[in-house]
Amino acid sequence: MADTNNKQVVADIDRSLYDFKDVESEKDFYRMAEGLTEETVLKVSEEKNDPDWMRDFRLECLKLYNDIKVPDWGPSIEGLDMDKISSYVRHKSDMKGKWEDVPEDIKNTFERLGIPQAERESLAGVGAQYDSELVYHNVKDEVAAQGVVYTDLESALRGEYADMIKSHFMKLVPPTDHKFAALHGAVWSGGSFVYVPKGVKVDIPLQSYFRLNAAGAGQFEHTLIIVDEGADLHFIEGCSAPKYNVANLHAGCVELYVAKNARLRYSTIENWSKNMYNLNTKRAIVEENGIMEWVSGSFGSHTSYLYPMTILKGDNSKMEFTGITFAGKGQNLDTGAKVVHQGKHTSSVINTKSISKDGGVGTYRSSVIIQKTAKKAKASVSCDSLMLDSISRADTIPGMDIRTNDADVGHEAKIGRISDEAIFYLMSRGISEEDAKAMIVSGFANPVSKELPLEYAVEMNNLIKLEMSGNG
Amino acid sequence: MSNDLNMKVNVLPVLTYNFLHVNDSTLQINDFNISDNKSPLAKELPAGVTVQKAVPFAEAGEIFRKNNDRILAPIDGHVDPNGDTSARDKDQALRTGMGADVDGLMISMGATVDIYTVEEGVKADKPIILNYDMKDGDASLSGQVIHARKDSEVTVIIAYTSDKDAKGFQGVSTRLLAEEGARINLIKSQILGDGFVHFDDIGGACLKDGKIDLVTLELGGCKVFSSAYVNLAEKSTAFTSNMGYLVRGDHDLDINYVADHRGKKTEASMQFKGVLMDSAKKAFRGTIDFKKGSAGSVGDEQEDALLLSEDVVNKTMPVILCQEEDVEGRHGATIGELGEDILFYMQTRGIDEEEAKRIMIKARLDSVAKLIPDPEIMQKTLYYIQNVV
Repeated sequence: MADTNNKQVVADIDRSLYDFKDVESEKDFYRMAEGLTEETVLKVSEEKNDPDWMRDFRLECLKLYNDIKVPDWGPSIEGLDMDKISSYVRHKSDMKGKWEDVPEDIKNTFERLGIPQAERESLAGVGAQYDSELVYHNVKDEVAAQGVVYTDLESALRGEYADMIKSHFMKLVPPTDHKFAALHGAVWSGGSFVYVPKGVKVDIPLQSYFRLNAAGAGQFEHTLIIVDEGADLHFIEGCSAPKYNVANLHAGCVELYVAKNARLRYSTIENWSKNMYNLNTKRAIVEENGIMEWVSGSFGSHTSYLYPMTILKGDNSKMEFTGITFAGKGQNLDTGAKVVHQGKHTSSVINTKSISKDGGVGTYRSSVIIQKTAKKAKASVSCDSLMLDSISRADTIPGMDIRTNDADVGHEAKIGRISDEAIFYLMSRGISEEDAKAMIVSGFANPVSKELPLEYAVEMNNLIKLEMSGNG
Repeated sequence: MSNDLNMKVNVLPVLTYNFLHVNDSTLQINDFNISDNKSPLAKELPAGVTVQKAVPFAEAGEIFRKNNDRILAPIDGHVDPNGDTSARDKDQALRTGMGADVDGLMISMGATVDIYTVEEGVKADKPIILNYDMKDGDASLSGQVIHARKDSEVTVIIAYTSDKDAKGFQGVSTRLLAEEGARINLIKSQILGDGFVHFDDIGGACLKDGKIDLVTLELGGCKVFSSAYVNLAEKSTAFTSNMGYLVRGDHDLDINYVADHRGKKTEASMQFKGVLMDSAKKAFRGTIDFKKGSAGSVGDEQEDALLLSEDVVNKTMPVILCQEEDVEGRHGATIGELGEDILFYMQTRGIDEEEAKRIMIKARLDSVAKLIPDPEIMQKTLYYIQNVV
């Protein structure tokens, strides 16, 4: 049995890979004054050269933001003061289509994060956002030749897809949804638009990477993806930031439209720094026979509210959510998933893992709604939490609302620690206690890492850096 | 005295999404009037058990306040969960499932409770049986405190009955204190008429090695609140709960159960089995709360809800809160209609779908009803189930 005096230590995530920061000079960077007023919203709109409808929409969203209250159910966001957040920071150069044209300081940042290398080796296209604006966007010729559109949202707003953007933008996540959706609508900037035409299957993933380098700033990128009938896409989202002593804010928005017989996999490795308030909203709507798959790793942030939601609208549509959350010192990560079953024979599977240590608070929160129309729906939820000490918290708060008898809903949750029996079993097979604990924790995270492409699974394992060390 | 009653009850220990409408419930009655205090006399008291009748509600709370240094000992390094709601009930003499608004109602309406005390070391040789036999038009507020002193053991059976079509209001407070090594078995059978609004607000506390067992059948009433909060305050305390429920017509059942693990090596097991028919509504909240210091504790809650009509609304909130490494917490829920495999099996035995449903409803409710240790109340309850099904 484990000796309490000989406890293994699961180390914090090594953040040195992500914590480097570049000084942003006034010469190279434009930074809007802190605070959120009609004037700042109009200034963002002017910077973006918005069409009139978007400018008016932003102003409506600002009103909503001022009217809607902060949620009463989640982690405290008292440390977030919008009067100290700049809503818009950008480099003075334009977005580039070639890496060599990207400004040297920004290029260095993304090279240290391995983005250009990943693009060369394993991606169909890359978008890179630095603070409030995309600085690089590129899609491989052969993918573009299939008719796949992968561009920054601002260009799409003014180009041939303008009507498509207008009819989809913040329709799935309306600004009335919650306070930070309204905030997003008011000051959104950057992000990507992806359109995959009917029947096109993109064999290798597209990736967007978001870097918030500026201190005391907000990032409000908007990602809009439309996967048309019978099409198939894997989209990867990465995010990181260096740590500052002031609060930063991320209030992005992701809207995903999965058409009939289409499939979309949306993978995220989130590694914001521990001064970040991550108040992000992600939502997908799935038509007949469509499939939505989420893979979500939450490692960074000071405070997170993150519950990707799927609306299974079409008959036989499916959703699968696989997520892991690692809450360490000073972190309060409130994560999970939401699903609404509307169509007949719809199915959803939610499978999450959560690790809490060093005083971190990890909360799994979810909702499964089976509407009256969702005959023969099936929903299954499994959420496991691992407590690595007794100064942390691990809570599970799942909700189910079932409005038809013709459904099958199963739910199970477990909370506990690394079992002495499992360690004993492995040690009886000649494995050291240190290695046994490392194996058990890696195994706990395995259902998530096995869902990622190899390169990202390796990144995730590096990110976790669950270094096991004993004191003899 | 006439009032409009509007109380917030069954508040979830931690708030969640407001769109689910499960964070709390409302007990609202216009022109609310209390006609009587309907605390019944126990038919026959076991030896070693005494009763103090008609004690003002707040005064009866002193039994718990005197033990507050043990029941609510401060917890070093405690961190509130996200959306914590404990502050609203902090002034209760003993936390209960429905919460502070019921205390306020009892006090404001001048309700009294009967205090049953089981003397130290007494193992009651027969149950205390309380028959709340309600009449059409009754409106009552009453309650009882069961105080089991050190190493005592007692079984209390409470039956709530009325004519099938009777209407009325009945609010009951049941508070339990199991001292060191004491055991309280509380059995409740509720078969009130289809027009009754009923609540039973249960609170319990266990001191070292103390144990509380609940068996609850919620079968009647049009609007029913069934709630319990059990504080496992000290080492090796335990709480088990078995509930069977049947909700039919346009009736509404609202449940809030909490096992508050504070002591080391505490155990909680909560099982809920029920059936929803017609356009019935049910909200189930069940929370296992492992406080810091509850090392070696185990908590388990399971819900099995059988839905038999396309118009039912079933809400389920199984919560686990945890601030202790060395614990095991589990919850599970299965919600849906009868499995096709079971139906197929029945049909191969010549049993049609309707009959198969009747058999399955009866089986799951009977399994809880058969835990009632009084043959007369058990038979009455089984007969009720038989008739309704």
